[in-house]
Amino acid sequence: MALFGFEKDTLLDLTVNVIPLGIILFFIAAFAVFPAFGTDPVFSGMQFALMVSMFLLLAVLTYYAGRAIENAESRQESVEAASAVEEPPGEVTGLDDTGVEDGEATQE
Amino acid sequence: MVAGDIVLTGLMAVLLVGIAALLTRIENWRSYTPLAGGGTATGETVVHREKPAGIIRWLTTVDHKDIGLLYGLYAIIAFAVGGIMAFLIRVQLVTPAGAILSNNAYNSILTSHGITMLFLFGTPIIAAFANYFIPLLIGADDMAFPRINAIAFWVLPPAALLIWAGFFLAPVTDNMIEPARTAWTMYTPLSVEQTNPGVDLMLLGLHLSGVGATMGAINFIATIFTERDGDVDWANLDIFSWTMLTQSALILFAFPLLGSALVMLLMDRNLQTTFFAVEGGGPLLWQHLFWFFGHPEVYILVLPPMGLVSLILPKFSGRKLFGFKFVVYSTLAIGVLSFGVWAHHMFSTGMDPRLRASFMAVSLAIAIPSAVKTFNWITTMWNGRLRLTTPMLFCIGFVSNFIIGGVTGVFLAAVPVDLILHDTYYVVGHFHYIVMGAIGFAAFAGIYYWFPVFTGRMYQRTLGKAHFWLSMVGTNLTFFAMLALGYLGMPRRYATYQFDGAIAPLVQVTTFHQLATVGAVILLVGQLIFVWNIVQSWLEGPKVEDGDPWNLERDGMLDREFEWFDEQLEADEHERDPSLLADGGQDEQTDS
Repeated sequence: MALFGFEKDTLLDLTVNVIPLGIILFFIAAFAVFPAFGTDPVFSGMQFALMVSMFLLLAVLTYYAGRAIENAESRQESVEAASAVEEPPGEVTGLDDTGVEDGEATQE
Repeated sequence: MVAGDIVLTGLMAVLLVGIAALLTRIENWRSYTPLAGGGTATGETVVHREKPAGIIRWLTTVDHKDIGLLYGLYAIIAFAVGGIMAFLIRVQLVTPAGAILSNNAYNSILTSHGITMLFLFGTPIIAAFANYFIPLLIGADDMAFPRINAIAFWVLPPAALLIWAGFFLAPVTDNMIEPARTAWTMYTPLSVEQTNPGVDLMLLGLHLSGVGATMGAINFIATIFTERDGDVDWANLDIFSWTMLTQSALILFAFPLLGSALVMLLMDRNLQTTFFAVEGGGPLLWQHLFWFFGHPEVYILVLPPMGLVSLILPKFSGRKLFGFKFVVYSTLAIGVLSFGVWAHHMFSTGMDPRLRASFMAVSLAIAIPSAVKTFNWITTMWNGRLRLTTPMLFCIGFVSNFIIGGVTGVFLAAVPVDLILHDTYYVVGHFHYIVMGAIGFAAFAGIYYWFPVFTGRMYQRTLGKAHFWLSMVGTNLTFFAMLALGYLGMPRRYATYQFDGAIAPLVQVTTFHQLATVGAVILLVGQLIFVWNIVQSWLEGPKVEDGDPWNLERDGMLDREFEWFDEQLEADEHERDPSLLADGGQDEQTDS
């Protein structure tokens, strides 16, 4: 599963912010379906603008934070793998004495 | 009551004269014994390798650890001042007619208590931990901008003097300049119409403290982004640094707005502008501007303490923090959402109900990230090997108090409940559970946890535990009584409460006020023990020989700051240099 390009573990971590996003979404829908105090272009506009802007800001920040952490993790993993047995893919250290390119090695 | 005022004024005068006398007696500003009267018998002077000695060192330092200690000292002094003010407030309310203060003195002290605790204790104590430990935790040599770091601290003492100026100046100006009586929220039109120049001085002081906080925030952001050691990245950045990063971003967006609003208020007061006048922007404009700053300020104060607890609590649970990334993401969520909830402080102002509803929605949503953290802390302790050391006790106290403070806050976020409880002691009880019960407790946990690092000595464990239990009992007695007072309809901010017994049960109200005061006495005793413990242990406590005083290595949880501490110990042993570990520089004593 690769929703928004995230791995499953990261998606699981991100659920913590999906809940407040869901709550805001619920209220947006509820106030849209049942406008208890009537609608008014200015005030209803501000009402929805506030909730929608918070929803978007939180979604965007969560996305970028998730991306930054996931990237850092994958870098870390590849560095660990490199130190243990082999070079990270796509990295040329000059220490590999097999004389085989990374791409070729994986094909074999 | 007038006699009480005179006594207070006299005490303040004695204090000022004492400080002035102390300053005039310093003969050698580079000596560690400024009052020795011409130095020691041998006439020795102090030379240095890295830093000047004596008082000059502290006035000129740009070392993050020294500045952290300065912040800490400043915050503890402000905590003492604000605490004594709180104690006076509680003593006043023992009887319905007010026990010791005039109404004016009460309003002055109430205002200064709030501002002192939030701006002069809360923000600086967090900066103290952050300055000392963030560079150590992320493997940086120092803060990104050491000189900005120093100036950010040095604007704070003048800020405090300006904020308290009315108390000093009232006796000498024949009450021409009095302390501000605006409450910390400085609501217009009250704050515009008080002609007392003490209000202007307080506003300038607040502005100055905001400038300092903003400079500090820029520094922390730059440090965490650019000064990390090679092997510290976003995936393994410690939780305290994450919360400081978020807090600094909040400061960056919130404090300049406070500054602007303060300037507008100053202009309304002195230049007859009409930003907050009825014929101009209207008094509600102030509330919107103030709370757009003020609500993020709440999270500015609580996020780093949450980071401290997330850092310290696992160490004494023998387990890594459960759901580390949950805590990181929820911290970021709080950071964003905190800018969309400000008007929940204004539900009863008659604003449009549709707007009110949307602020309620976001306020309920922001409860989730905070609640998630609570579950993370509890789950970390679950089946862990708990060691009930003093810092751990304060962490557990934090969680317990934060739950009560948080749940009462969720009720207040709902418009119908808020309309009933608004401006009652329920609100006061709610936010004191957070600011004292949670933020204060986390600060104590941090002080005890890192005491060996910044002093090289160990505190007295029994006194530490006594401090915790007195604080825990005192906090809950005082602030739970306030929740009850709120349900009884006791309005906040009143100097007296002699309302008609037919409207509200005055006897019960009085009883709960007295219970709250008993709690305040217990708190005071606890804090006296704390100060005694810290001072005496710093001077005479047993020296820490082991770089891992909490035995964290066993669980593989020795962080970088303790590794650094261990290196310092070894270096000291190597050089046979008995100087204190907190010193960035090494001092030598030679005969001149």
